[in-house]
Amino acid sequence: MFYTLVRKDLLLEFRTKEIIIPMFTFGLAIILIFSLSFNASQEINHTFSPGLLWIIILFVSSLGLHRMFVLEKEFDAFTLNLAAPIDRGTIFISKVVSGTILLLIAEIMIIPPFVVFMNLSIPSNWPIMMLILIIGDLGIMSIGAIISSLSMRAKLSEILFPILFFPLVSPHLIACVKATNYWFKGIPFINWQSWVYLIITFFIIFFLVGFMIFDFIAEE
Amino acid sequence: MMFNIYNIINNTPMVPDQFWAQKIFYLHVPIAWTGFLSYLIVMIAGILFLKRKNIFWDHLGFAAAEIGTLFITLVLITGPIWAKPIWGTWWTWEPRLTTTLILFLIYIGYFMLRAFGGHPERTSRYAAVLGIIAFIDVPIIFFSVRFWEEKYQSHPQVEITKQNPEIIIPFLISLVIFTILFVFMLKYRLHVLKVIFDR
Repeated sequence: MFYTLVRKDLLLEFRTKEIIIPMFTFGLAIILIFSLSFNASQEINHTFSPGLLWIIILFVSSLGLHRMFVLEKEFDAFTLNLAAPIDRGTIFISKVVSGTILLLIAEIMIIPPFVVFMNLSIPSNWPIMMLILIIGDLGIMSIGAIISSLSMRAKLSEILFPILFFPLVSPHLIACVKATNYWFKGIPFINWQSWVYLIITFFIIFFLVGFMIFDFIAEE
Repeated sequence: MMFNIYNIINNTPMVPDQFWAQKIFYLHVPIAWTGFLSYLIVMIAGILFLKRKNIFWDHLGFAAAEIGTLFITLVLITGPIWAKPIWGTWWTWEPRLTTTLILFLIYIGYFMLRAFGGHPERTSRYAAVLGIIAFIDVPIIFFSVRFWEEKYQSHPQVEITKQNPEIIIPFLISLVIFTILFVFMLKYRLHVLKVIFDR
């Protein structure tokens, strides 16, 4: 059932491209704004870039998350989803997984222009960065899926979502920025592994909380 | 409360290197304690509401959230007033301060969710969920900021047990008075919410 739900989300997206294209374009626009407004030297760009990268990811993910759940609202698809004889926690997990896949695809498209426009040089041990990105995205999507499902049926959902989402995700963002910063400076992983553990902890806690609590959110 | 303020002004010793600035600590810390106690009650009420579906728990959560946010706002005002003469800066991105600010922002969102949530029963449920998540987030925020900020600032709360009785007794009186004030506020707010609900 989980596989069917993820497949549904991805298939819907690959046919319409309603989420990926806006995510990519929006990401590109933010990079442009950042590059133009700072207009800094390469060293300063290097200092700022981990923070900027995660701000872009956060903005892009909030756009994607909001769209993903608004789609469910159209034609009352969410109610039909709830009527299906499946555990509601499964719906939550499927949203986290499909959201992470879409966000990763958007990141793959956004990061190359980010590196080019910010004039950055990439350290060689990039598999660790891939790990940070994947777990970081899973964490963002776990808390994001909870908040999206809370705010989706509210009157001002598009305003309510970022207001609730940004403060709640801030500790995760701190950890992601710190880990990326150390990676960027080329410091050995052993010295900053605690940040990666913090990212993993955040993801696990909110993934489990979301799984447990989604029953109550999804009640009609 | 009048007695408390009188007591703080007249019956507490002047700390040598802080003088009058230190007096705010008798208000700041009890206010902070009450604020966090309120948010703990929001979480407990949230869990009980989701479990029992009794509207009383929803009212309790809402009332505690309102009072908690009032107290946390006061903490965010009194904190910088103390910090400016002692630390030499209004604000520093340090675990307690950051955690309090983030929690304050989350609760602003909580009230917006209450106001714009739509269907009342659903809104109550969502608010309960948010109250739980917000409190779970507290230790994570605290530890992430603690890791992040290597240099540590001294906090008077931590050193309270080392103080002499002249300081501890007025402090404890203040703490008890603020807790009583909180209980009264909660009781009256609960009553008002019930009247509005029954109407």
